[in-house]
Amino acid sequence: MRQTIRRLLVWVCGLMAWQTLGMAETPGLVAIQDARVVTVSGAVLEKGTVVIRNGIITDVGASVAVPKGAWIVDGKGLTVYPGLIDALSTWGIPEAAGAASAAGATGRGAAPAPPSAAPGAAMASAPRSWGPQDRPGTTSWVKAADLVKPTDRRIETARGAGFTTAITFPKQGLVAGQGAVVNLGGESSGQMVVDPSAGLYLSMTPSGYSGYPSAPMGILAYFRQLWIDAEYYKTAKALYAQNPSAIPRPEYDRALEGVLEAKRVMLPAASPIAMERMLKLASELKSPFIFYGVTQGYEMADRLKQTATPVILNVKWPTRERDADPERVDSLRTLEIRDKAPTSPAALAAAGVKFAISSDGIDTPRDVIRALKKSIDVGLKKEDALKALTLNAAEIYGLASRLGSIDKGKIANLVVTDGDLFDDRTKVKFVFVDGVKYIPPPETPAGPGGGFGGRPTAAPGEEN
Amino acid sequence: MKRGLIWLAAMTVPLLAAESNSFLIRNATVHPVSGPKIENTSVLVMDGKIADIGPKLAAKGKLKVIEGKGLHVYPGMIDAGSPIGLSEISSIRETVDTGEIGEFNPQLRALVAVNPESESIPVTRANGITTVVATPGNLGGGRGASSSVISGQMSMIHLNGWTWEEMEVKRNVGLQITWPVIASGGGRGGDPEMAARFGIRRTPYAEAKKNQEALVLKLREFFESARRYQQAKAAGEPGLKPDLKMEAMIPVLEGKVAVVVFASREREIREAVQWAEKEKVKLVLANVRRPGKMTTELASKKIPVVLGSTFTPPLEDDDPYDEPFSLPGELAKAGVKFCFASFGTQFARNLPYEAAQAVPFGLPYEEALKSVTLNTAEIFGVADQFGSVDKGKVADLIVTDGDPLEIQTQLKYMFVAGVQVDLESKHTKLYKKYLARP
Amino acid sequence: MKALIGLLTMAGLCCAQNVTVIQNGIIHTVTKGTFTGSIVIRDGKIAEVGEKVMTPGGAKIVDATGKHVMPGIIDAHTHIALDSINEGSISVSSMVDIGQMLNPESKSIYQALAGGVTTANTMHGSANSIGGQNVVFKMRWGNNADGLVFKEAKPSLKMALGENVKRSGNPQGGGFQMQGTQNLRYPGTRMGVEDVIRDAYTRAREYQKEIKEYEAKKAKGEVALPPKRDLQLEPLVEVLEGKRIVHAHCYRSDEILMLLRVFDDFGIKGVVFQHVLEGYKVAKEIAAGGHSASTFSDWWNYKIEAADAIPYNAAIMQKKGVLVSLNSDDAGGAELGRRLNTEAAKVMKYGGLTEEEAIAMITINPARQMQIDKWVGSIETGKDADIVIYDKNPLSMYSKVEKVFIEGKQYFDRDSDVTARPKTEAKKNGLIQKEKETEKRNMPQTMPQTRRPS
Repeated sequence: MRQTIRRLLVWVCGLMAWQTLGMAETPGLVAIQDARVVTVSGAVLEKGTVVIRNGIITDVGASVAVPKGAWIVDGKGLTVYPGLIDALSTWGIPEAAGAASAAGATGRGAAPAPPSAAPGAAMASAPRSWGPQDRPGTTSWVKAADLVKPTDRRIETARGAGFTTAITFPKQGLVAGQGAVVNLGGESSGQMVVDPSAGLYLSMTPSGYSGYPSAPMGILAYFRQLWIDAEYYKTAKALYAQNPSAIPRPEYDRALEGVLEAKRVMLPAASPIAMERMLKLASELKSPFIFYGVTQGYEMADRLKQTATPVILNVKWPTRERDADPERVDSLRTLEIRDKAPTSPAALAAAGVKFAISSDGIDTPRDVIRALKKSIDVGLKKEDALKALTLNAAEIYGLASRLGSIDKGKIANLVVTDGDLFDDRTKVKFVFVDGVKYIPPPETPAGPGGGFGGRPTAAPGEEN
Repeated sequence: MKRGLIWLAAMTVPLLAAESNSFLIRNATVHPVSGPKIENTSVLVMDGKIADIGPKLAAKGKLKVIEGKGLHVYPGMIDAGSPIGLSEISSIRETVDTGEIGEFNPQLRALVAVNPESESIPVTRANGITTVVATPGNLGGGRGASSSVISGQMSMIHLNGWTWEEMEVKRNVGLQITWPVIASGGGRGGDPEMAARFGIRRTPYAEAKKNQEALVLKLREFFESARRYQQAKAAGEPGLKPDLKMEAMIPVLEGKVAVVVFASREREIREAVQWAEKEKVKLVLANVRRPGKMTTELASKKIPVVLGSTFTPPLEDDDPYDEPFSLPGELAKAGVKFCFASFGTQFARNLPYEAAQAVPFGLPYEEALKSVTLNTAEIFGVADQFGSVDKGKVADLIVTDGDPLEIQTQLKYMFVAGVQVDLESKHTKLYKKYLARP
Repeated sequence: MKALIGLLTMAGLCCAQNVTVIQNGIIHTVTKGTFTGSIVIRDGKIAEVGEKVMTPGGAKIVDATGKHVMPGIIDAHTHIALDSINEGSISVSSMVDIGQMLNPESKSIYQALAGGVTTANTMHGSANSIGGQNVVFKMRWGNNADGLVFKEAKPSLKMALGENVKRSGNPQGGGFQMQGTQNLRYPGTRMGVEDVIRDAYTRAREYQKEIKEYEAKKAKGEVALPPKRDLQLEPLVEVLEGKRIVHAHCYRSDEILMLLRVFDDFGIKGVVFQHVLEGYKVAKEIAAGGHSASTFSDWWNYKIEAADAIPYNAAIMQKKGVLVSLNSDDAGGAELGRRLNTEAAKVMKYGGLTEEEAIAMITINPARQMQIDKWVGSIETGKDADIVIYDKNPLSMYSKVEKVFIEGKQYFDRDSDVTARPKTEAKKNGLIQKEKETEKRNMPQTMPQTRRPS
């Protein structure tokens, strides 16, 4: 009995915390009036109004009639942007924050515990891989959509920086699993998911298995074989369906099912060298692809444009190691890369490469914007920076009809600030996710286990 | 056992039945190294020593005469550092006797672990190397038991003799010390992909520095203990128990034996030089690779250097491609005295070519020749007896058909302390055997 | 009109630039003797070689008076310019392609170039019985990976025998400890090595057969499932069909003989035995099989299987009719690879071969082994103008490379290299300074107390 009361108390306190820090109001009809509206898709409205009804932007313009009964938000002195999108993330997957227990990932119970949920655990239990047939580091059937939870504490921090959407991926292993487009709000996992099938995440960083493949060239060969196997599987299944008596029944293979399901693949390409390797691989996989990483984009822009490759840019700019030996001198090449990396977004924009931004490897969501500010300082246009954080991401993932700009009919994901987004003094006053208004907590340190304190499992190695 | 002995003896019988150590080389071109070459001259060797050099020397009595027309006489070459005799096959631990367990082992003597039957001896000898400074410590690449700070006493040996006692030139020519390095490690180029792949975990600099400083402190304390021991012994302190490690340090503290400190880069060199000055010990630096600003100091303070092989790629990505080849020339220009070491067994026979490789990149030829002969003898304190073809010196001589630093040159004769040695080896034997295979 | 003139001027310039004449050097053609003469290079190819040549007007002149001119060195076995060398997790890793690991930014390329190397066969390592696919490339420093590849070169496959193979991943073979015997990588003995190789080629034969059977069925209009593409077996089928060269790492005579017999049984020809340190013991058998050998000049005793290695190996094999080359086996930086010219001199010292035979071992012989001698390996009309100019005889320790041309284009010039050094240094110092200033400026901003929990 006493225990029950205690539990109840904890629950109530938790709820209160949720209420005060998280959701403030959840009306169905809202109008933000007289604000500066940066639509991204069109001209900036110096004094405009945005109307939201049941989670959708129903109207936007300089002279828009405010529906009766709408909650009015006085936008004087405020700026409204489309909600920011982290185009390659782990936000929403609590396990990826390194804080949750491994058991938490079993989710609805029916699905087996995906290896991606428990980093390291798979390594210990998985038998040594002796070849592609063992499907090493492959959990292509794992879907981020099944792993996201509104309880991931990073969600709130992300919203606090103006992010309302993340394309979030399982990242453990070589063929880690399928990403999902999730809105950073809602009360249930199901509510969060905008699109459960964003693409298949491939990594060149071996983890979660032992044995073959152990070298990058082995990994490349494995990817090729896996796709060959998947193609063959598809053919075999089709042939079998036509001739079940003449053709042997293909063995069910969830790894291949996952590969066949994927709309596109995410390929790591930090440098021009990696880019050429990945272009070759992509031509063999015959699947639509997106490059992630692209830190040396300033050297890659023309080729990316030529190959019409969309890019998710990692903005964790390389810097000198903090604890470096003072007598050690880095190579000229390393120094040049460090000097030039922040110019990558401008170079990509100038070349006409479509690129969005990833939070990968960055400590806090706010730092993503700070990192882009660095690029603005060395030549990136603010409009291009903003596009990269919003509309470009939506377009790359084929969601431009629903996300990425302030337009009639789009999902009401908005961020309202008291100034220019890229000004470090600017504060996010509130955000709307699916039309629900959230007031961010004051910027305080994330608590231990909150995710952003420590490094998320998306280790720097994943940057490629 | 007996059979084994007979077999061994049969394998090493020298060309000459009796070990005569007197002979005359006639009408050869003599390259004394200590001075300009002398053409058409003779060298008289009596009882293992160079008795005379001159144009008109005559053989007395039954003295063996070698016709030297068209041939060249040089001093035997000296390898300033090699585990020869102590390490047979570097990848097989059981055949390796360098690198004893423990951080401070000044009492260990390389000499006593030299296997006179090592295959490396005749192989190395065949390229004109008569003498080697045998090293007790690991030299990188070897698989000794451990890496230590003080590895032991380096011994100069002849590459000829039935026992290590007979091979001995000087049993203690230097105390081998490896200067502790701040090993913060990590890869070059800052490639995160590669760093992650190979699981390169860098030791933070601060931590590595602390470790290094602790080790240097230990070294200082070891020297301090040795000094106190020396004083107590000199004072006849009653109850002073003999300590072999401390005893071994006395000649070093007295300045009779040099410390040979392995230090490659500027920081280690700087620290080692400061340390040696403070300890007032005689310093020789070894395996110097990147002296940087210390070069001028090495010259002005007359600190000699033992260089490792020039056959190595540049240290860093941005180094000039010829960095290892041009270093000796730069040192010579700055006035630093140096000699060459192979620091290995496999390629010890290529010692002359290591020196030669520096010549097209700025090292004067005469210096190259000295750096494998006279300089080495001077640096290790045996120049009164070795290192050049001079009257009164030990007759370690090679007779060639040309410049011994050129690969194509063939060695015709070798004399170690006046004794002609066999130029055959396992290699020549297998060559003959399999060339004749039907 | 103006544009047209510009175009014409450019075209004119380009044609004049496309002819280079290396004049009055001591030319080691390797295949057609050594003489003092000149070489005319047109469009990257050697147009004319002789004591007297026609120098076209407007040609670029390289004065080689008193200098030695040699074909670019070909390193038949190296591991430079690679981001990874071994896929050692399994015993047959023929599906991996070293060509994918070429790193065009690796300084080893420039170092090799500065040592006179123009072409190299950079290979998979020796961790397993059947390694990966190798790549032949030219030291066209400054190009991307694709621009380095020697496109005409026949593909090849690495194989390996002996200690490395049985040690890797196998404590019983002397390697590091792994957990549980089920994780041991077979084989752990030389017997097992033969088994793995025979098994792999047997499987490849079966695969080859399956494909043929499927095609026959399809031709007859039968419903059939095509055989699944197998990236591991595809290169082995190419070996069986003579479309891919095998480079086999080996040491001891017993294992060399074993492999010779396996190749006999599978009809595999033109194999290049690599290292092959005891090749001198079975030179007759290697020659009889029509295979060749690529070895070191004087490596020995670094492991037990190298105990009988002798520097006379190359000379004996050559005398017994084996086509022999010398290689570097470099990995990481270029070391031995950049002084293969003096390594070649060692076959004169050990075994008394001639100067021409020595130079052939680092030029035309490896070219023949790699089946690229149609393009490179000697100074002959019609071949690629891959040419090195030395200040002295390349077989002398006192020589150094002055200029290197690949397909007529100068990729290395010692004088320019030396002159450029201070500039590079200044550039570097500038960047270091800039970085320090930026760090100082950002210091207060990048370290707010709120960022990291303690």
